[in-house]
Amino acid sequence: MPGALPAPDPDGVATWRGTTVRFRHQRRDAVGPVTLDLAAGEHLLLLGPSGAGKSTLLDTLTGLIPNVIPAAVGGSVTALGVAAHSRTPAGWAQHIARHFQDADQTLCGMRVDDEIAFALENQGLPAEAIRQRVATAMRDVGIDEAWRNRRTTTLSGGERQLVALAATLVQASRVLLVDEPTSHLAPLAANRLHQLLMTRAPGRSVLIVDHRLDGLIAAIDRVAVLGPDGSIMAEGPPAVLFRTHAGRLDAAGVWRPLASHLDTALATQEVAPPQPPVSVADVVTHLKALGGAEKALARQALTPLVAAALPRVPTPALAVREIVVRLSGADCAPLLGPVVLRNVDLAVARGEILGILGANGAGKSTLGLSLAGLVRLKGGARDGAPGGVAFQNPENQFVTGSVREEIEAALAVRGTEASRPETADTVLAGWGLGHAASQHPFELSHGQKRRLALATLTARGRWPLLVLDEPMAGLDAAATAALALRIEALAASRHAIALITHDMDLALRLCRRCVVVGEGAILADAPTAEVMADAALLAHAGLAPPVLKPVLDWFGEATA
Amino acid sequence: MSVRLSDHLLQFRLNQLHPLPKLIVCLIWLVAAIAVFDAHFQLVTIVLAAAALVLFNRSSLWLVLGLMVPFALFGVGFLTTSILFRDGSDFAGKMAAEAPFVSEGVSAGVVLFLRAIACGMVSALFTLTTNPGDLVKALMKDWRLSPRIGYALFSALNLVPDLASEAQQIRLARAMKRGGLPRRIPGLVEGFSLMLPLLAFAIRRASRAAIAMEARGLTGNSTRTILGAPVLAWRDMVFSGSALALLAAACTLAWMLR
Repeated sequence: MPGALPAPDPDGVATWRGTTVRFRHQRRDAVGPVTLDLAAGEHLLLLGPSGAGKSTLLDTLTGLIPNVIPAAVGGSVTALGVAAHSRTPAGWAQHIARHFQDADQTLCGMRVDDEIAFALENQGLPAEAIRQRVATAMRDVGIDEAWRNRRTTTLSGGERQLVALAATLVQASRVLLVDEPTSHLAPLAANRLHQLLMTRAPGRSVLIVDHRLDGLIAAIDRVAVLGPDGSIMAEGPPAVLFRTHAGRLDAAGVWRPLASHLDTALATQEVAPPQPPVSVADVVTHLKALGGAEKALARQALTPLVAAALPRVPTPALAVREIVVRLSGADCAPLLGPVVLRNVDLAVARGEILGILGANGAGKSTLGLSLAGLVRLKGGARDGAPGGVAFQNPENQFVTGSVREEIEAALAVRGTEASRPETADTVLAGWGLGHAASQHPFELSHGQKRRLALATLTARGRWPLLVLDEPMAGLDAAATAALALRIEALAASRHAIALITHDMDLALRLCRRCVVVGEGAILADAPTAEVMADAALLAHAGLAPPVLKPVLDWFGEATA
Repeated sequence: MSVRLSDHLLQFRLNQLHPLPKLIVCLIWLVAAIAVFDAHFQLVTIVLAAAALVLFNRSSLWLVLGLMVPFALFGVGFLTTSILFRDGSDFAGKMAAEAPFVSEGVSAGVVLFLRAIACGMVSALFTLTTNPGDLVKALMKDWRLSPRIGYALFSALNLVPDLASEAQQIRLARAMKRGGLPRRIPGLVEGFSLMLPLLAFAIRRASRAAIAMEARGLTGNSTRTILGAPVLAWRDMVFSGSALALLAAACTLAWMLR
């Protein structure tokens, strides 16, 4: 079979030809067969549902697979004209910089400045040149000088992601492989990182895997989409691809930029822009140019999309507002850590979804733990029942050897060994985990782990308050949509929910009220619409308006 | 001049020292603590190490006393063994025969007990006042340690705080399931129950660190640049000279009091 493959393209900096990867003890390929090229200077976006094999494909280019992670690689993979497996990952490091999906895989646990300098030290560059490049990378990425001497393991998830990106960008390599670089970043930081990653550098090729597409897509030359079966299901220029394959992408659970969703909606009334839009700004420009009947048709076409982007769960009326938890003058600190938020006054009611927004490291997770009563307040008071927390890393919640046992443990009445297997089956089926019942929780995909964590939290209806810490991070479009529906259903079943998120569109959709955390305090506690309309507040807090906001503004004007 | 010296002493911190002379001094002191079978010597060692941590590392006295607890528990084992099985500890008994305690068994046991604490405190003094990154850089730069081994050592040194951080997360999740706040200090049962998940974490962490370093170009190549490696200074010589002089004085005291 390999003999039948075409010769590698000498102009391509990376080529995959009929590439398949099968890990040991697995019955099916993790990815492939894939035939794909990355040209010199090209910006290629790789999309696909969870588990399609995107990261695996990237790992083959630096020899990580099969030289470090054993696997059978079929077909061929070449980098810069050389068989990728002929060198070790260290041998490729000078030419190919790799940013892993999990920041902890990129970082080695050093101090921030050592971490960023590490790859350059390995290249043996002069010390002064390294210092200058480290300082430039820190400034470009937006890393505070005060972090220099902090160990990366003491940083928040988003802060670690920033350092990992600085450590990748500082290498100034010919090829940049970037896997989910912004999943834990606050909006302003994500926008800045997208600009940095997508700035054209002479001869630099970028292969990026990301689901935060708005703001990124304009700088992308080509999109390749891995289907659920691990092979390329679509490939082409972004705007055309999203218009042509919208239905197939949705069916496969692949992210599309908002501009594409708007384009699809407008096409239903035959008022789509003549050229497929790349950004929301393109769509708004088109909408503003419409007149009379076409404007009315566009409004009609966008009505379902706008309705779906706003909260559906009603706010509990003031008269029947049943407070589940209240913090009064609370000084919040992580377990065994210093105070990060002072004098917090905050209440969450049954049936409410409260958004907790803020920049990376602002103290959102600590506020969530304080609301749940899982950490002692250093001052002030907390009133209310204990809450359940879906941690940022769901693995921390798993204590048993199988998915079924996790659910059974969650169902078991405290102090007894008894559980109800038939109920466990119901719960597993309800959360779409029935087929994975016998698997170890750590073997699940990221989305499945999130679902399992939520299933264990909600199985017995034990916690009236649920704190969800970045529940959508790293999920594909289908999993995100499904989880959003779950969250709405939980609120509808009278749970109080505190949703910590960096996704402003998600907050707009699910939360009627948001708090903005920053500068060691609550900066704002207001209806989501008010928060999202306050540009100064958002900028001050390191946030950005929802991507949909310009469309909502147009919609409001058009309706008026 | 005396004012300037006191100023220097007030500003001096043990973490400012070059890790290698400090390591050598601590190793010599550990060897001495093992070789000199004398309660006075062990007491002097404990007091000096504790005083150095309090004065020159600004460690709280409670922290220093707390640090002694695990070593003391370890030492109690020696003490009880010596008392209960004094006939079996012939060598230690002879060594301690002239020591100022009620019996040979008790005397030998007390020395062994104090030695466990003394060795522990000298180790604590080094680890609490040394940045693992600086130690690894110094080893690679000055002792030509292979970068691969150096960074493997670095990962191992950093594993303890990482394990502590992971343990906090697991404890929070378990406290939530239990329906209460996590205890400030985990009990024995909780401690044991954390061992397996922490072992799994340690394996995953080590594997990820190895991949991260490999992917960013770490090889056994000794020509790599080492940025910010510690540089020897006068204070290192002053520290080493003073520490060895104190060691000699402690040995002399032990010899005179026998």
